[in-house]
Amino acid sequence: MSAQECNLRMKGKVFDDASRTPLEFVNVFIQEVSDGAVTDINGDFILTGLCQGEYHLNISHIGCEAKIIRIDLLRDTVIDISMEHSPHVLDAVVVEGEDGEFRNQARQSVNRQEIADNTNLNLAGLLENQSGVHLIKNGSGISKPVVQGLYGNRLTILNNGIAQSGQQWGNDHTPEIDPYAADKIVVLKGASSIEYGNLGSAVLVEPKPIEKEDHLHGEINYAFESNGRGNVLNARLEQYTSAFGWRLNGTIKKYGDRRAPNYFLNNTGSEEANLALQIEKSWKAKTFFKFYASTFNTTLGILRGSNIGNTTDLEEVLIRDVPFFTEPVFNYAIANPRQDVSHQLVKGEVKHFLKDHQVLDITLAGQLNNRKEFDVRRGDRDDKPTLSLRQYTFNGEAKYTNDLSEFWTMKLGLQNTITDNTNDPVTGILPLIPDYLSWRNGIFGTLNLVKDEFELDFGLRYEYEFQDVAAISTSASREILRFENKFHTLSGLVSAKFNISEKQNLSLNIGYAMRAPGINERYSNGLHQGVSGIELGDPSLTTERSIKNTIEYKWVPNNNFSISSLFYFQHFQDYIFLAPQDELRLTIRGAFPVFEYSQTDANIYGVDLSTQFTISNTVLGIIRYSYIRGQDTTKDVPLVFIPPNSLYSKLLHRVKKTYKLTPNVKLDGLELEASSRVVFEQTHLLSEQDFVAPPPMYHLLGAKISANIITPKYQIRVYAKADNLLNTSYRDYLNRLRYFSDEPGRSITVGLNFKF
Amino acid sequence: MQQCCNNFLDLCIINIKCKTMKKNQIYFLLVAFMCLSQLSCDKDDPEVPNEEELITTLTYTLSPNGGGDPVVFTFRDLDGDGGDDPIIQGGTLAANQSYVGRVEFLNEAEIPAEDITEEVEEESVDHQVFFSSSLSGLSVTYADTDDNGNRLGLVTNLTTSSAGNGILTITLRHEPDKSAAGVSSGDISNAGGSTDVEAMFTVNVQ
Repeated sequence: MSAQECNLRMKGKVFDDASRTPLEFVNVFIQEVSDGAVTDINGDFILTGLCQGEYHLNISHIGCEAKIIRIDLLRDTVIDISMEHSPHVLDAVVVEGEDGEFRNQARQSVNRQEIADNTNLNLAGLLENQSGVHLIKNGSGISKPVVQGLYGNRLTILNNGIAQSGQQWGNDHTPEIDPYAADKIVVLKGASSIEYGNLGSAVLVEPKPIEKEDHLHGEINYAFESNGRGNVLNARLEQYTSAFGWRLNGTIKKYGDRRAPNYFLNNTGSEEANLALQIEKSWKAKTFFKFYASTFNTTLGILRGSNIGNTTDLEEVLIRDVPFFTEPVFNYAIANPRQDVSHQLVKGEVKHFLKDHQVLDITLAGQLNNRKEFDVRRGDRDDKPTLSLRQYTFNGEAKYTNDLSEFWTMKLGLQNTITDNTNDPVTGILPLIPDYLSWRNGIFGTLNLVKDEFELDFGLRYEYEFQDVAAISTSASREILRFENKFHTLSGLVSAKFNISEKQNLSLNIGYAMRAPGINERYSNGLHQGVSGIELGDPSLTTERSIKNTIEYKWVPNNNFSISSLFYFQHFQDYIFLAPQDELRLTIRGAFPVFEYSQTDANIYGVDLSTQFTISNTVLGIIRYSYIRGQDTTKDVPLVFIPPNSLYSKLLHRVKKTYKLTPNVKLDGLELEASSRVVFEQTHLLSEQDFVAPPPMYHLLGAKISANIITPKYQIRVYAKADNLLNTSYRDYLNRLRYFSDEPGRSITVGLNFKF
Repeated sequence: MQQCCNNFLDLCIINIKCKTMKKNQIYFLLVAFMCLSQLSCDKDDPEVPNEEELITTLTYTLSPNGGGDPVVFTFRDLDGDGGDDPIIQGGTLAANQSYVGRVEFLNEAEIPAEDITEEVEEESVDHQVFFSSSLSGLSVTYADTDDNGNRLGLVTNLTTSSAGNGILTITLRHEPDKSAAGVSSGDISNAGGSTDVEAMFTVNVQ
């Protein structure tokens, strides 16, 4: 080869993505030469003496998600790098494919590094530290998110743009989504959702587009967690060949019994195996095709000592310190009671850019959800589930977007969802919810105006739902009962955003939404596994209506401080909930409390506050507080199962120095973190509304240390963290198993993230 | 609309009759297409499960020592967890009398009635019947054992003393801890397990 030029210069500027202001103390590190620079007060950096070639730049800064940029250096080069710095984005920069409707709705997101650093958590667990989000748990392995008081049938979870369809009515049903296939998880706290027809709260699980790199690369995440002796392995491989881009993502998890501070939680192990395939292809930057297929499979053990029946059993359990069947032995094996769930998803999407700023987006998807729940049974029936549901769903949608002018954008959409739900009679037990076929057709339109410091959104949606329900009566005759239901629902949204100044903005949203009663709400009949007693649906329930108001104020005076406050108020007419009845039902198994789905008028309202600050670019602090209250306004009593108030805070110190481990291996970005979560007592509840008073306030401390190890070929991130550092004994109001046992005690997790 | 649907349904019926998984998927796709093309969709009748584990009836037959008619206590709840009230029949016992008691569990939703007592006997190690009464003079002791030599309770000795009225509670526990304190003498407090039967009878001793 002729003499290589090794006196090339690379210089550039790093700035904050949203405000476009320069960022100081950003580490710009070139992997291949194990050398780097730090940006000055103007955000500038310069690297000299470089040879021609391909380089990977590692850009990292306190409070930002680290970035890797690939660059082909042929001559002196100047580059500009933007970093997502503040969580409180002021001017939403339009990213290709980002929906206009969502831009004005309050949102928070979890990025890839947070996902990779928390490989021991499930989807809901990753969102727990966002303000306004709480978890409903059924023991530690099963949890689902609550966003501003909305969960289950009222919360839409989108997996790669497809509304997750399964038995989401169940409070002990974890969403069957692998968060490690995603790069971003967004929590939407809107007033109404026009595109998905829900009451405004949604969780979006999104993988990022496949990077246009033509060589194979990927990452491996591994974590070991002490509590439960759990191992989690996630691997990702991707490549963008000349033909198409593909990404393969797989996760396996194996956990044994968890441990509360004073005793083992026997039979709380879990196993999971997931695989996802993404394929992307584009033609002339005008037509984009995306294919996504995923399989999710899990077995979850349920605390052995939680298997109680009637009111006599419940009384015995409530006075015990330690659950029945507790043994001082750790076990990986999962026995009954347990859940076996699998979920398959296949999706194909075509997006075509027509002339004159028009886009047509067509998506077809199919899902299969298989849920089996097993109990301890007499005889050789331990292998037969007590609940076995198979649900097929077909989603089809077509969306058309048009940038009508410099200021106006419109979007029209047509959606179709068909759901086929069948019980397997092999259970030998009457089904809890019946077989049904449902067909939903929706049409919606949104209009968006952006002008100077002002943004306005309008949206309208109409949906028609038809249900054919085939139930079995619980009277001795066990006859077939058939119901045919038709629902018409309407939703509307108006939202406005003003930039009060360069540093502050205000968002106002008003949304009206209607929700047809869920199948479980009308037709449940029987004992649901666990403590809830006998659940009875009411076939006469009507459509729920809600009006929600949100006001969000954000202030970002400089790169070092930001604050956001979100106030929301949601009024419901005909709010559907499970109301405890005065009577006990006597059966041969004893007396059981009875809960019946009922309707009332209700309000749910609260405030989510969140602030982030950095001190001298080495210390970062985050504080998030949620206040929420729910009231049944007809009877003037509190709503049950409303999350208590909570306060989460974190302090992080980033060491500026880069350590040289060997001539070619550097340690960079060493961070030390301490965190605290305070969950207050749920005092807004009457004693007659629950078997036991809500648990007292609790306070958990956490700690973490993490660093990046950079070698010429690879980047490895290592971390060690402690959850519940002080091994505190506590119970949580939203954990259905709080009647039986404490939450898990201290847990240490060590993990690594290996990028290649 | 109904007529068009019937023609498509004929095609569907052929598919329904085939039980293999693949045909079910084809059926589903056909239904999906039908729904897309705005025809009415029907969900098949569900298959009613065979509830073989159901216990509908408990009988406690007390035969007086020294001869006489047996007294039978019956708890019958034919609809299982359903809302119809169970039919409970208490009984009258003689004062200062001893009886041999036999417990029987049946599933009378099946015809002929299925004898669940057999299953309990086969899994004797995993079951125990408990007796308690609000009448101070009434006592029940175990007269049988399981395969490990621990108490079972399908056969018992019942003794009355002075006259009075009270409640007799009979409980069948599945997987109790037979080694916990008091369980072998019939005290249910530390037994745990899950309750398969809990029946309360009014007893009149005279």
